[in-house]
Amino acid sequence: MIIDLGDDAAEFGRVVRDALGSAGGDELVQRAEADPAGREALVGDLLGDLGLWELDVRGSGDELEAAVAACRSVGWWGIPASVPERLARPTDLDADALVVVGGPRPAAPVHGSSLRWVAVDLDGRRSTPTARPLPTTPRKAAMVAEVDLTPVDDLGVDDVLFGLLLPCWTLLGMLDRATALTVEYVQDRQQFGKPLAAFQAVQFQLTEAEVERAGVEELAKYATWSVATRRPDALADVLALRLAALEAADLGMRICHQLHGAIGFCDESTISWISRYSLPLRRLPLPVSGTRTELTRRAGRQGIAGLYA
Amino acid sequence: MTRDLEALRAEVRSWCEEHVPADWRERQTGVSEDEYVEFQQSWFQELRQVGWAVPHWPAEWGGGMSVPEQAVLYQELARADAPRLVLAFVGIHHAASTLLHAGTEEQRRRHLPAILDGEIWCQGFSEPDAGSDLAALSTSAVRTGDGYLVNGQKVWASGALHADWCLLLARTDPSAPKRKGISYFLMDMRTPGIDIRPVQQATGHSHFCEMFLDDVLVPAENLIGAEGEGWQVAQATLGAERGMTMLELAERLGFAALPWLVDLCRQPDWRGHRPIDDPAVRERLAGLEIEVAGLRSMCRRFVEESERGAEGPADASIVKLHYSELLQRLTGFGAEVAGVAGHQVLDKPISSGWESGAWVLDFISSWEWTIPGGASEIQRTIIGERGLGLPREPLPAKGTA
Repeated sequence: MIIDLGDDAAEFGRVVRDALGSAGGDELVQRAEADPAGREALVGDLLGDLGLWELDVRGSGDELEAAVAACRSVGWWGIPASVPERLARPTDLDADALVVVGGPRPAAPVHGSSLRWVAVDLDGRRSTPTARPLPTTPRKAAMVAEVDLTPVDDLGVDDVLFGLLLPCWTLLGMLDRATALTVEYVQDRQQFGKPLAAFQAVQFQLTEAEVERAGVEELAKYATWSVATRRPDALADVLALRLAALEAADLGMRICHQLHGAIGFCDESTISWISRYSLPLRRLPLPVSGTRTELTRRAGRQGIAGLYA
Repeated sequence: MTRDLEALRAEVRSWCEEHVPADWRERQTGVSEDEYVEFQQSWFQELRQVGWAVPHWPAEWGGGMSVPEQAVLYQELARADAPRLVLAFVGIHHAASTLLHAGTEEQRRRHLPAILDGEIWCQGFSEPDAGSDLAALSTSAVRTGDGYLVNGQKVWASGALHADWCLLLARTDPSAPKRKGISYFLMDMRTPGIDIRPVQQATGHSHFCEMFLDDVLVPAENLIGAEGEGWQVAQATLGAERGMTMLELAERLGFAALPWLVDLCRQPDWRGHRPIDDPAVRERLAGLEIEVAGLRSMCRRFVEESERGAEGPADASIVKLHYSELLQRLTGFGAEVAGVAGHQVLDKPISSGWESGAWVLDFISSWEWTIPGGASEIQRTIIGERGLGLPREPLPAKGTA
């Protein structure tokens, strides 16, 4: 088992992050929100020029690694441009993007999208989603619309793995960014004549968030390897990753907000945008308790093999 | 004399049945600012007519309920899911306690009856560079003739857009040590030179405001307490925010939030499972029930002791810290139980409590609670230093504290 991303993948991730930075950086999420119909085109060509859409995500472990690194970089900027979903698209259907759905009122971040979507539930049943009109603003909905599903087939077991795995990497990228922003903020912000970072009570909260984030990073690499090699436990591994990522996001975003103070809730601060656009990834297709239930159901009595089997 | 509590309970309950508008939640969801203000004002006057708008004020000013009576009142209002007095909050709590604590008779006579008539207040304390370190504030008030000329910038002035008056802290003596040079003013929001800008928040609301003060003339008679003693007066005001207001909020947790959470757990999910049948859920609910009971009892004791001037040095901080973190745990659990369906509730009524039953939104807005009125880090410092008598944090460079 090799759970470190290859150098090429890591380098590709850096290239994607820099390219998005040059193309607008933190303004991209704001532009995406202002124009939901244009949010995919906003970065689509740029990422295409870097070769992202040609990656053989399903067939090559190396190319999957490049894809997850790119998803992480998209998370760094918090851009809701359906990137992990496009990378997870099924190869046996004529479709542009894949989303995993669940629950009695399935929903997906498809508002304004012009892509051809396929939805899959956790049991591998595939369908074509049709977005309903938003009951509120795209901002409040964070691009999530309820969808009506027209059944296609039940051949999507493999799709579930990729549909769950790739967005976890985007969420990890958001946690990377939230941590980096907060580290920067507590060093800049002076109160009582010194930076907030000089208070150990502040340092310890941030280290707690960092330990959780670092744990997710390890699990994400492991789950990626597990999916790439199609281990029998792969779905349980991906669900375990999702659970860890959701818990780390709950704790980490809480702490990053607390340390930013009131400014963190305002649009003028980047953390507010990252945190808002992390919500769809955290709640869909299953929030914490639903993910835990599914993991328990899948892992059954034998448990999961995990990292040190 | 304390009225018979059960009689009071019955009276409030039947009044609520008649007066709480059945459709107020729908009417207050997604409404304009004007509709919100109008609704809050009319609800305030309804409560005022029966003597329940300011039960915590002294009898001579229109209050006079004992602490157990107040608790019963708040319990029944919560049980009936009555709207909260959100708009009047700063006026009936912070402004009133400041006036009662440090105001002259004339200032009290001018404002306390006006607050009952609907005068709205906001707080002008925090500044861009003075948040947790409030004493670092730099808005200046320079004596001129029979008034003060105020210049500076305030932030996080909740509700400033609708306020008639502002509780303002400004520096009158820049050469004094930083806590000594601050004075406390009552500022008329119609004075020329005040510019209010709402700030767009993550929740989509903009009740926080920035306030720019450009040569605002505040008459000397609107100084409250002595010049240079504003810090002490502010401590009393913040004490009210941390402590006294908690009586109502704690009872709401016990009589609205918790029962609603239990109801939520009784609803079958889409697979037909009821969360309440899960032992892990029952254990969490029981844990929350214990914490809420503890908080309610703590708040009641605190308010009774502070009325007698006998509260402990860190009690207000303990109560505020406990409430804010418990609110987060409770609404967080609500969000967890509500699951994906809970995430599809994207609006909540504007006049509701911090627990509205829109669990995900409640959870997100509960994050605010550990920041204003002294962030949790500040409360912990106070509890450590004043409550437990631990050594002070190492002080920063000379001349800044």
